[in-house]
Amino acid sequence: MIDLKETIAALAPEAEFVKAEGKPLEVILPSSAVHDAMKKFRDDKDLLFDFLVCLSGMDWGDSLGVVYHLFSLKYRTYLVVKTIAPDREKPQLYSVADIWATANMNEREVFDFFGIRFINHPDMRRLFLRNDFVGFPLRKDYDMSEENNPLVMSNEESDDMTPVLVTNEKGEVEEKQKVLFEDSEYVVNIGPQHPATHGVLHFRTSLEGEIIKKVDVHCGYIHRGIEKMAESLTYPQILGYTDRLDYLSAHQNRHAVCMCVEEALGLEIPDRVKYIRTIMDELSRLQSHFLFYSCLCMDMGALTPFFYGFRDREKILDLFEETTGGRLIQNYNVIGGVMADIHPDFVAGVKKFIKYLPPMLKEYHDVFTGNVIATQRLKGVGVLSKENAISYGVTGPSGRASGVSCDIRKLAPYGVYDKVDFKEIIYTEGDSFARYMVRMDEILESLHILEQLIDNIPAGDYAVKTKPIIRLPEGSFFKMVEAGRGAFGVYIESKGDKTPYRLKFRSSCLPLVSVVDLLASGAKIADLIAIGGTLDYVVPDIDR
Amino acid sequence: MFDFAVVTQWVDTLLRSFLPDQAALLVEFLLVGLCLLTAYALIALALIYGERKICAWFQCRLGPNRVGPYGLIQPVADMIKMLIKELIDMNHSDKFLFRVAPFIVIISSVLAFGCIPFAKGLEILDFNVGIFFLLAVSSIGIVGILLAGWSSNNKFSLIGAMRSGAQMISYELSIGLTILTMVVLSGSMQLSTIVESQANGWFIFTGHIPAFIAFVIYMIAGTAETNRGPFDLPEADSELTAGYHTEYSGIQFGFFYLAEYLNMFVVAAVATTLFWGGWMPLHIPGFDNFNMIMDYIPSLFWFIGKVAVMIFIIMWFKWTFPRLRIDQLLRLEWKYLLPINLINLMLMVLIVVFGLHF
Amino acid sequence: MNSIKEYFVSFYKGLKSLLIGMKVTLRIFFRKKTTECYPENRETLVIAERFRGTLTMPHDAEGNHKCIACGLCEMACPNGTIHVESVTEVNEETGKKKKVLTRYMYDHGSCMFCQMCVRACPHDAICFDNSFEHAVFTRGKLVKQLNKK
Repeated sequence: MIDLKETIAALAPEAEFVKAEGKPLEVILPSSAVHDAMKKFRDDKDLLFDFLVCLSGMDWGDSLGVVYHLFSLKYRTYLVVKTIAPDREKPQLYSVADIWATANMNEREVFDFFGIRFINHPDMRRLFLRNDFVGFPLRKDYDMSEENNPLVMSNEESDDMTPVLVTNEKGEVEEKQKVLFEDSEYVVNIGPQHPATHGVLHFRTSLEGEIIKKVDVHCGYIHRGIEKMAESLTYPQILGYTDRLDYLSAHQNRHAVCMCVEEALGLEIPDRVKYIRTIMDELSRLQSHFLFYSCLCMDMGALTPFFYGFRDREKILDLFEETTGGRLIQNYNVIGGVMADIHPDFVAGVKKFIKYLPPMLKEYHDVFTGNVIATQRLKGVGVLSKENAISYGVTGPSGRASGVSCDIRKLAPYGVYDKVDFKEIIYTEGDSFARYMVRMDEILESLHILEQLIDNIPAGDYAVKTKPIIRLPEGSFFKMVEAGRGAFGVYIESKGDKTPYRLKFRSSCLPLVSVVDLLASGAKIADLIAIGGTLDYVVPDIDR
Repeated sequence: MFDFAVVTQWVDTLLRSFLPDQAALLVEFLLVGLCLLTAYALIALALIYGERKICAWFQCRLGPNRVGPYGLIQPVADMIKMLIKELIDMNHSDKFLFRVAPFIVIISSVLAFGCIPFAKGLEILDFNVGIFFLLAVSSIGIVGILLAGWSSNNKFSLIGAMRSGAQMISYELSIGLTILTMVVLSGSMQLSTIVESQANGWFIFTGHIPAFIAFVIYMIAGTAETNRGPFDLPEADSELTAGYHTEYSGIQFGFFYLAEYLNMFVVAAVATTLFWGGWMPLHIPGFDNFNMIMDYIPSLFWFIGKVAVMIFIIMWFKWTFPRLRIDQLLRLEWKYLLPINLINLMLMVLIVVFGLHF
Repeated sequence: MNSIKEYFVSFYKGLKSLLIGMKVTLRIFFRKKTTECYPENRETLVIAERFRGTLTMPHDAEGNHKCIACGLCEMACPNGTIHVESVTEVNEETGKKKKVLTRYMYDHGSCMFCQMCVRACPHDAICFDNSFEHAVFTRGKLVKQLNKK
């Protein structure tokens, strides 16, 4: 085991270290050194920080900056890098989009919310807000009054050009315009109202006959500013909003926030709670994968399997409703435990479901997986290489289909995942069919986890008492869970108040849409649908 | 067996008894047209209802059950809704072609519908190149679809229309060849003769292997020809929202909708006529008593029953399979169906030449 | 030769997979259907007891409720769904001041059923009931007064 601190100090002598007990190493780098140091962090064979987990913009009041959460998939170590943009009026930082492709979208998000412009970034447009939006809402001095923030009722024009900042030979930064779509291109808007985008997502697709030349993803149609809202909400109140991010992983999202807050508070969680949460997580994953199956079938034009998936998903939702009182939005985890103890019939219900499912799964495979049309439409379509998957930060089933071992349940076990025996499903093809098969196999794996847990729920409290007003200690906290479609992270920066100073959700779906252009270029329109279906993004999680 | 020619001749003599010949003919034309259109509309309603119920049962649902007993009035309600909906004009669309397109589609399907021998003596258009005529008129529909996509001023529509063009032209070939195979066996292109010549055994039995292959290919190509799933690429609701008829509303959309169902009926009816003996009852040579009993069932029922089975199979395809991609669709036709078809045609010719059929 | 063999094998396999699919759908065609005929089955419909329908304030037989108008639920609500209006009354015998609830307004339209209010309530004065037929014609009708008088 090498000493992380020493290696980093050797690679980046400018680095300042922040001391914190029991937390990942935190490094502060001056803005001019970030780009080069990051490249070294990624390439150095002792560090190998190949995965940019989270890139969050920050407003520390007097200065703007960015926090990078790096993770090494090989050594399983975290590194937090902070940097401050020199000028608050005209903040500029060097882009790391050439080191990790996932930074592309994330830096656009930071520009959108904080106005930090990234030099050498290929596309410096807003990501979520309208192009004509004035100001940067997550800055602490942003005026939220209605005069400053009017409701625009006019149509938003999509730009064919994008401003970029580039460094010329002299090392000076100059602004240029980059062309996204030529006038002569046949650009079709797929979305925001389209049956196959699973919500209000907008692809501007340049076509050459049936062949796709380029896809430009437009997000933000369902942007609700949850991160901004969270800054004025208490921690228990925030929980209500997490269910509404990736509504198919509602339980896991909430689990992440609860664990982040509990760890910050140093709360000891009873075993019973951990078991219940893990069981619920797996049930959520099951229902999410059923919905994936259903929607993929529907997108591919097979409407009948769609109903089979929903028929079985309904059974899980009934189980949820019995215990949590909610079907889609379960509203079950609370800080320190769960809302209520499991329903007396819950265990029997889960056992019945475990018995019920396997024959149904066989039908799924017979009617869709084996089907020659389906396999031909999925195999070899939208191949995502392992390198690209890591660089784009694609996690979850889509990442594992490309051979990336990125299951947070294995990398950093939480709940009782360290006590159960389960396989991490990994395919190496990286095509749509592998992404599909990973999920279908994960259904079985989840059943296997449930089988091990359901009989062994220990007795005990279903929640620990917490103070009526929860104040987190000063500092920053980060926690990730494996949600239905990838790693979902929560980053909380606290100043010791009952509300977070800054809260950032690491969306599991934003990296998924960022690879759509890569996968769909050169494919056909029908392939775009298959790629979108197998990536299985949920739009509210992208837009937040 | 009841011969519908009795009825038609009775009407004819009745009209001629008090009208001059020309006028009697005119009245007959009108009557036939009226009957045809009524049957067209009724069959469409029945098919819409049937499709909904069948699709629901495949999907573990109940299907329409609110309007009328067992939801029987549902298609009528839908029809009324469609009739009273507003027709929307698109900006910058070619208004003339936009309005003409649904008519072209529906006219082609009505013309094809008119060729079908429904029962003994119940043929409307019956002449020596009947099946050829049917092929010709049913392929006019593609013009309407192309025009609809072109004139809508919508990119999705245009892509849908282009797909449709590629698809129809490819699969027309297969349909033509399978029909040719059967024409070789029957020795006639006249639909009534084709049916009559199946009195001692339907072609699917007498023509055995090549007839069966031709039937399978015909069903696949026929499904593709009617733009139904899994060949519904021109509509492809998850890709192109609604393809060539995205911009249509009200009865203009209704025409496309009707034509789709009626084309399915026509395809099923032609399959019945060519392979399953049309309205001809099931006869097994040598079993005279059995044949007698079969003859008691009216020919119209035989026809409708067989067509219903064919339609069920086409619906079964649609509600089981995912949609093909355009290159798969073309590959299926050019790489698999066409060569098999050509070999099959040759096989049939050999069988007929050497008299190997039953 | 190999490619010819592959041609036929792929054709046969494809056809077989299609037939397997058709077999499954046909089997389900004859299976019992899962549709629930909702308004007809209202009598037999099972709604989980923990289902959160509408926020209610249970009243006992005399029409009393347990609310002390402390306003904790109003503070706990992330959406501003609840408005507690109260007056301060002075008890004539003891001279102590006491808050008394006048109106407890609940906007069902903006409620997100997070149960923060129920958890915040120190006297269990409010709870969620099982009603789920929420449809009304105007949004105004969703604003409800929970206390009866």
